[in-house]
Amino acid sequence: MHEFELRVNGQRYSVRAEPRKLLSDVLREDCRLTGTHVGCEHGVCGACTVLVDGKPSRACLLYAVQMQGHEITTIEAVAKDGRLSPLQQALHEAHGLQCGFCTPGIVMTFEAYLKENARPTEAQVREALSGNLCRCTGYHNIVRAILKAADAQA
Amino acid sequence: MPKRRFHHIGAPLPRKEDARLLTGRGRYVDDIEVPGALHACFVRSAHPHARIKRVEAESAAASPGVVAIYTGKDLAQWTTPLRMAPPIEGLRPVEMTTLPVDKVRFHGDPVACVIAENRYLAEDAAERVEVDYEPLPAVADLAQALAEGAPRVDETLPSNLVSVQKFATGDVAARAREAHRVVECVFHQNRMTHLPIETRGCIAVWDEGREHLTLHIGNQVPHPLRSQVAARLRLSESQVTVVSPDVGGGFGQKIALYREELTVCAASRQLRRPVRWREDRMENLLAASHAREDRARTRAAVTKEGRLLGLELEILEDFGAYCFYPANYLARVVAMILTGPYKVRDYAFEVKVALTNKCGNGPMRAPMAITSWVIEGTIDAIARELGLDPLEVRRLNMVESHELPYTMPTGEVIADITPRETLEAVVHAIDYASFRERQSEARKEGRYLGLGLCSVVESTTYGSKFYKAAGIPGSGHEAAWVRIEPSGAVNVSVGLGATGQGYETAFAQVVADGLGVEPSQVRVQMGNTDVAPYGMGSRGARGGTAGGTAIFLAARDANEKVLAIAAQMLGFDSAEGLHLVDGRVEREILGERVKTDITLPQIARTAYLDPTALPAGMPPGLDFSRTYDPPPMTYSNAAHACEVALDPETGALEILRYVVAEDCGTVLNPQVVEGQQHGAIAMGLSGALLEHMRYDENAQNITGSLADYLIATSTELPRFELIDLSTPSRGNPVGTKGMAEGGVMGAIGAIAGAVNDALAPFGVVAERQPLSPDYLRALLRARE
Amino acid sequence: MKPAPFRYHRPQSLAQALTLLAEENDAKLIAGGQSLAPMMNMRLAQPAALIDLNDITGLDGIAEKDGSLEVGALVRHQSLADSARVKEVCPLLAEAARTIGHYAIRSRGTLGGSLAHADPAAQLPLVAATLDAEIQAAGPRGGRRVRAREFFVSLMTTVLEPDEIVVSARFAKAQPGERYAYLQFSRRSGDFAIVAVACVVRGKTLTLGLGGVEDKPVVLEGLAAAQKPETIARQARETVQPVETPRVPALLRKELVEVLVKRAIAKCTNSN
Repeated sequence: MHEFELRVNGQRYSVRAEPRKLLSDVLREDCRLTGTHVGCEHGVCGACTVLVDGKPSRACLLYAVQMQGHEITTIEAVAKDGRLSPLQQALHEAHGLQCGFCTPGIVMTFEAYLKENARPTEAQVREALSGNLCRCTGYHNIVRAILKAADAQA
Repeated sequence: MPKRRFHHIGAPLPRKEDARLLTGRGRYVDDIEVPGALHACFVRSAHPHARIKRVEAESAAASPGVVAIYTGKDLAQWTTPLRMAPPIEGLRPVEMTTLPVDKVRFHGDPVACVIAENRYLAEDAAERVEVDYEPLPAVADLAQALAEGAPRVDETLPSNLVSVQKFATGDVAARAREAHRVVECVFHQNRMTHLPIETRGCIAVWDEGREHLTLHIGNQVPHPLRSQVAARLRLSESQVTVVSPDVGGGFGQKIALYREELTVCAASRQLRRPVRWREDRMENLLAASHAREDRARTRAAVTKEGRLLGLELEILEDFGAYCFYPANYLARVVAMILTGPYKVRDYAFEVKVALTNKCGNGPMRAPMAITSWVIEGTIDAIARELGLDPLEVRRLNMVESHELPYTMPTGEVIADITPRETLEAVVHAIDYASFRERQSEARKEGRYLGLGLCSVVESTTYGSKFYKAAGIPGSGHEAAWVRIEPSGAVNVSVGLGATGQGYETAFAQVVADGLGVEPSQVRVQMGNTDVAPYGMGSRGARGGTAGGTAIFLAARDANEKVLAIAAQMLGFDSAEGLHLVDGRVEREILGERVKTDITLPQIARTAYLDPTALPAGMPPGLDFSRTYDPPPMTYSNAAHACEVALDPETGALEILRYVVAEDCGTVLNPQVVEGQQHGAIAMGLSGALLEHMRYDENAQNITGSLADYLIATSTELPRFELIDLSTPSRGNPVGTKGMAEGGVMGAIGAIAGAVNDALAPFGVVAERQPLSPDYLRALLRARE
Repeated sequence: MKPAPFRYHRPQSLAQALTLLAEENDAKLIAGGQSLAPMMNMRLAQPAALIDLNDITGLDGIAEKDGSLEVGALVRHQSLADSARVKEVCPLLAEAARTIGHYAIRSRGTLGGSLAHADPAAQLPLVAATLDAEIQAAGPRGGRRVRAREFFVSLMTTVLEPDEIVVSARFAKAQPGERYAYLQFSRRSGDFAIVAVACVVRGKTLTLGLGGVEDKPVVLEGLAAAQKPETIARQARETVQPVETPRVPALLRKELVEVLVKRAIAKCTNSN
């Protein structure tokens, strides 16, 4: 067992866990932040995407013990003071989610992506989105929402 | 624009569900905290077919954190087997125990269940369980299944053929003799799996004092599931509560009571502790539920103008090792509705279903998915062989509006559909007229374009009469209640199981119109069997029509009582001329609507807290329940048009345009309906292009990760162009027709047609899916 | 899908890492972990210890040195793809890096990890072999430099000793007038290539790197650029001996080699 401190969404958490415990599991079980979803545990589906020092990363491919000294951001921190972020708002308005299971991973990916790419083309959005699997929407409305959010932020 | 029949129904209201799902505050089953819960992990067979000689769990039991290890023998004491023996002609009865006792039947079959303090420790112990197997020869495909002397997957059956059904009407042999030509076609549909992004999972909480089981589980059919759980644990239905929270996609995978889930329930009862199981993705791919994999063959007798005289169909489905559903159930529907919008009187089919040593099949979004590909592919083949325009062959054979209602050769009646209108709409939108010109220009540059058309007649909302006629025990009805609470708050419930369809929004709209309130005042409560009425759940595109209508009827009942009370409060003899609009009573005076001072909260207060003020004889309270059994079958329809570019050197395909015109009746919420159309088209295209659950020649599954089982990402799918041509159904009071599976059917057929059009100059025809570069190159290579 | 237990080390210097690597039995190095972690979750890999290299400073630089481009082992794929310097002096590397996996994978995966993992279908081993990069390894016996074409031995096997660590790779800078192309064929965006082709035309000679085809990158060098693309493509097809897998027959890989080589050369010829 290792005892260590994690910084998630600006808060400190004391964690006692085996080194093998995945960041996704520690976030969900130890930090009780269940918005980070587990879809495949081999880095393909993207549902567990969180930000590590602002960069999107698969939480299922990280061990929580590795994250000491790093700042983790999860879906729970995206809406501020009860207000959806422009990306979340756009997903709501464009019906960019159905069952919602893949949604947190998509939001985290594009919260980061849109900071680095303010005015992406549709093709660029589709390329960046291809690391997040969605089985409900066919992606059409997600792409629409992301482009809308980019417009709103520009 | 026709006048809208409803005020709130049909409005593109953004979803009520979104706020929690967008912010990480949804509650999926694995998000539910249960103190002290143990974790289950299943030991699974690496053999496709083997006798279980011995399960050695001693060293595993000593592994840290292990609480118990159970095998099939243990479960056989605590649960009853599943017997699948409906009185259906041609279908053989089968039975399965909760976990295998004597032999495993597929790669991934669960042999033992480890219960430990957490999933990590459970997996450690599971690695240490040693199972002594005696491998048996395995059945890896349909050819092996039907071969003389084949090993039997289920030894209680005389052969692997678990179901054979035949039907004939008219005289197809005579039509074939008279015909100008008999066109034969073959279709091979790939094995797939549903792949909800949330895998299966459950938490069983046994309350020893109350002798009551609470099962938290993501499921599409909470009440039928409760019946199953109770029966197989030898409990009464009063002793089981099923709670289905937010569900991360189902697509048909979350209907049956699976063996793992029942094992977890039994373990919780046995250990008197909560037990949870979260299926991992490898298990989900290997052992949850598979779908499709069938071969179809058609023989179409036609005139030289391309008119259909007679049609024969053979289907052979690979059902896998276990029957969680009657084995005939999926393929038979294909045969029943094959002819779709086309006129033909002489028709015969033979539907055979075989068991193999693979994961068992179940219904996947559009269980009858292959239907439109088979009939439209047959039409395309007729055009190809006779040198006709495939659009003209469609027009020639398609039922016309004045011929509706039309009785299909199987006796199914299609009414209130618009196949010609939708077909002409997509033909226009995709500029069919100039396509041949574009196609020949592109060929000069080495680009091979193809255009595919696919008409869909989607069977939705099976009613009880259909089940009865098909010999399947069960009902097609749905149940709902509407309750107006003393404060005027409106609660509504229905026996469906939401998996992302936006029920909380669309049904609030239905209640809003039925009762006369704002959608924001309505709260939809679903997924808890102690709260919701006993309904048949979500499957077969029935939610909107069966569930929506039951809700609408209950809301109308509520409206009637509310207005009767209002009349009394206003001092009128009757409620005639009174309306409830957005929660306030309005009065009609000389054709004008005038607002009164009476609001729903006042009426509710009277109903609950001042019953002596109610009209004489009226019981207190505002509580309304309704059931609704829809017509035997409701049909919606659509036409798809797809344009592709084929790179013949690599076999790569690119979808250039995708257009759909759909008539699904009254639309409850256009945003939600469009979303369902997108999702269905996507699932169809993904399956036709990429998805392939593969077993090798020894029946070993070689598709155990998402690097092997490929589903479409945002880069393979096109933008979708949708044309709404909805016309209301006359079959139910709201006018809905059901939808959300037809998109799968149309996409499979449209892409297949487009690819074959692109392949035409090479003289080859694609008869299999997925339409992979490997397969397309193999076809082209043979002609180079 | 949970990993088996392991001991975890987080060295603060390369020297510490080397000491740990020497002391630990059955240890694996982890940097981005985008290939190792999935294998561990599936329990296909069960190392007794993980040595996490992420804290070691000085391994994440991108710099021009002695006429070549030196890239540290901890440089993430997305940084390679985005770096203005890489785009300018070694554009083939930037272009190939852009196609690795997906955005989140690129944000975490590292050059050193990719080279040491030696997946025969991966982009960076292919580019390293094509450009014959020099791979710098550190070990208890000191550092050594290995030519990329000698570094890759076979499927996920390199000449690295178990106690050595990749610290950087040096890539030759593109020369004036040099032309390049990177093309890959995969089922979906972000999937490993079924066939990948890197092509460099330098003066009158043409070099081809072929990935995904054999158990390590195949390099055909010293080809006469003046030949017809079809001739070179045919030659490439005949040279390679692709692996036969259930999903991709060897013949398809040969065909794709021919088509992609032809197109890569055309792309070089048409670009200036």
